[in-house]
Amino acid sequence: MRFPIAWRLGLVLVMVGLLGTGLTGYFAYQASREQLVNASEARLQTATHVLMRQVTVALNDVKADVRLIAQHPQAARILQRSTPGFQALSEENVAKLFEGLMLVHPEYFQIRLIESANHGLERIRIDRGMGGLLRISGDDLQEKAHYQYVFETLQLPPEGIYVSRAFINHETGAHAGEGRPALQVAAPIRDTRQRVIGLIVINVDLQGLFAQLAADLPPELKLYLANRRGDYLIHPDPSRSFAFDRGQEARVQDEFPAIAALLNERPNKEVHLVTTNLASAPEALVAAFDQRRILGMEGGDGFILGLSQPLASVLSDSKQLASITLGIVLSFSALTILLAIFLARAFNRPLYRIVEEIRNFAVDGKVGRLPLDRKDEIGELAHSIMQMEKQINHQIEDLQRQQEMLDHLASHDSLTGLPNRRMFLDRLEHALARAKRQNEQLLLLFIDLDNFKIINDTHGHAAGDAVLQAVAQRLHDLLRESDTAARLGGDEFIIMLEGTWDDAQIEQMVLKVKTALAAPIPYRDIELHSGGSIGFSRFPQDGSTSSTLVAAADQAMYHCKTARR
Amino acid sequence: MLARRPSACLSSLLLLVTLLVLAMAPATAAQPVLRVLAWPGYAEQEVVKSFEQQHGVRVELTVITSDASLWEKINTHSYDVFAVNAAELQRYLAANLVQPLHPEDIPNASKQLSRFRDLVAIPGLMRNGKAYAIPFTYSQMGLIYDRKQFKTPPHSANVLWDKRYRGKVIAYDGGTHNFSLAAQSLRLASPFQISPKDFPRATSRLIELRRNALGFYTQPEESAQLFLRHGAALMFANYGMQQVHLLKEAGADIGYVIPQEGALAWLDCWSITRDAQDIKLAHDWIDHLLGPQASRFLIERQGLSNTMSDGDNGQPEGKSVWLQPPEDTVWREKLWSRIRSGDRLSRVLAQ
Repeated sequence: MRFPIAWRLGLVLVMVGLLGTGLTGYFAYQASREQLVNASEARLQTATHVLMRQVTVALNDVKADVRLIAQHPQAARILQRSTPGFQALSEENVAKLFEGLMLVHPEYFQIRLIESANHGLERIRIDRGMGGLLRISGDDLQEKAHYQYVFETLQLPPEGIYVSRAFINHETGAHAGEGRPALQVAAPIRDTRQRVIGLIVINVDLQGLFAQLAADLPPELKLYLANRRGDYLIHPDPSRSFAFDRGQEARVQDEFPAIAALLNERPNKEVHLVTTNLASAPEALVAAFDQRRILGMEGGDGFILGLSQPLASVLSDSKQLASITLGIVLSFSALTILLAIFLARAFNRPLYRIVEEIRNFAVDGKVGRLPLDRKDEIGELAHSIMQMEKQINHQIEDLQRQQEMLDHLASHDSLTGLPNRRMFLDRLEHALARAKRQNEQLLLLFIDLDNFKIINDTHGHAAGDAVLQAVAQRLHDLLRESDTAARLGGDEFIIMLEGTWDDAQIEQMVLKVKTALAAPIPYRDIELHSGGSIGFSRFPQDGSTSSTLVAAADQAMYHCKTARR
Repeated sequence: MLARRPSACLSSLLLLVTLLVLAMAPATAAQPVLRVLAWPGYAEQEVVKSFEQQHGVRVELTVITSDASLWEKINTHSYDVFAVNAAELQRYLAANLVQPLHPEDIPNASKQLSRFRDLVAIPGLMRNGKAYAIPFTYSQMGLIYDRKQFKTPPHSANVLWDKRYRGKVIAYDGGTHNFSLAAQSLRLASPFQISPKDFPRATSRLIELRRNALGFYTQPEESAQLFLRHGAALMFANYGMQQVHLLKEAGADIGYVIPQEGALAWLDCWSITRDAQDIKLAHDWIDHLLGPQASRFLIERQGLSNTMSDGDNGQPEGKSVWLQPPEDTVWREKLWSRIRSGDRLSRVLAQ
């Protein structure tokens, strides 16, 4: 009973319960976490899409502005021969238009009208300076024909718009835009005969543009912008933006290896993906990237735009989920333990009752106290046990009865029913002990039947048996309860009498026995005449041990018998 | 056996933790960094990688594309070793930005061709009996021309100003060399010593070059793209054979000539800055760049020459005008940046 079955059962129940709730909790958590992460990724991807759309829209706006000015008749008029007064007025009007646009668009660094003649001389140029808008004029206007945005734009087909790669503007005298990331959008100006005579170019502040677009994003989202080679143009860490301009390399595919696949796609294909960076724990990021070709862009170049979110913040929701799941698992586990204890006890108690019952039964053999009122297997067990107990009791009683019978057989003479020699000697020992202790006397009468052999020989053994039985009956009738008559064997009987006896009383007693033995014994239709010889011995006068006393009585009987012959 | 199982579990867990800690240790330990400034194609990725592996360091490579930006960067005092041409080196020496190096610590230097081994014979590499640079590669700055647009190869550098090729000329975006080129074209006494009275002429000449040019480049690849994309006729090859190699790889039908005035020629050397953090490592870098891998790449990938073998890489015959320290690099660059930005003569000279 070192580890009771109920406990073991309880333990198994607890284990099964814990395993069940634990596994359920774990898998529920896994599934929910995956969903959370998926949802986060989807959100990130949507944000990237929206941002990319906004970028496209914003760039389209710039293109629309450029096209609008380039196609404005005033622009062409400046570049065509006319009177100086009219020329000046046109220039004034266009400059005002530029200034107006620059005021509306804080992300414009510069708007210029460049003529194709005079080596790409700037004719009207509005720069954003530290203190406000600057109109550049006279000697400060520069020749730009050798710049890509000029010679590329001048070769554009009708309706074509030039969009440059993102670059750092190193042109001297570019004011606010100098040394800053920019994007140039340009469109050719055509005269009435559709000859290209100049161009309009807007320098867009790349960081300003994206800062504006990304302003509404949650602060934990970080913006990435890379060119088609993967060089970062915008990166949360400014030292990684435009690294190529400083002769270094900081590429998106080195930080987010999955981007390499995206870069290998054709630039006009719109692709997007969600990936993670190589960093571990606190710097780990989930990022969504979107690649799109900027429409109308001549270089065929596109952007890769990305938004990242710390993996930790994506997983923070799932952490909460984890704690909730853990709470549920723990409370259900506690419940399981309680239930297991209850079940173990409910199972244990009737079993203990049964065990207790069996133990008691072993001690006192009494039946009862079993959970007999139960209708289940335990009830059945109780009933079976009760039946078994009853059966055992039954058998024990039988056994006792047989034992008593055997005892009787062993200590009595089967013919006469009197105690046999063994039992008589046993009683004599006891009586002797008592008599010695209490200074009392004992009297033994030794009886030997007369004529017994003759009766046997004449009338058969059945007659002999009848004589023995009759003698036994008479001796029994003669004696008090405390006296003992026994058959020693054959035709010899002995009587033990307790109490004090004087000679007269002995004489009288012997006579009484003799008289009883002398009476005829009816046997079938005749009467048998036996009688007996009697010798006596007394304690303490004739001996102090059973054997001496019996021997003395036997001796006396023998004297008596021989004297009479 | 059963009783031992938990302890086996525990010990394997411990082992795992130990391994993790060990695996993370090198990542967290500060790795020595060698900060290198090199020109395009000098330190290919494989060369950098093999150096990093051999020496257990990280190389922070910055690629420079003009003398001006190299000068600017070295003056930030945040680099260890850099490649510079022998003429440019002089101003670094004058400004005490470099330190003597020990050729005996660069075993591969002893395998260089004898004319590069004899540092005393090369002007500008020694000062006060100490070596300051080890030659690495060299090239002439010849003219690349489109065979379809030139019936006969151009013979003079003046072809760059030829109005017939207006908008078809590509030039290099670097003040020092361009002024030397202008001086050559103007037949000044020395391309490297322009007197103050000659500067307006030279400036004007460069403005003319700008007006004749399609555009300017700083990197070899950029130049090849410009040339191919816009059907250019002529290009001043600042990187020499490196550009020829790139264009031929791209399938362009080009020729390469050394003009009669003589091609400006540079000898690029490795030098160690005064600020170098680990001088031994800087020497190791130079040794590595003189090694077989880097030397082979110079020829095979860049079309340049190395200082280890005299292989014929198709470099044309012609006079070399080895670069010399100019009279005033800063002034040249300042003027050039104005010219480059499109200012007209009066504005440039108003500096």
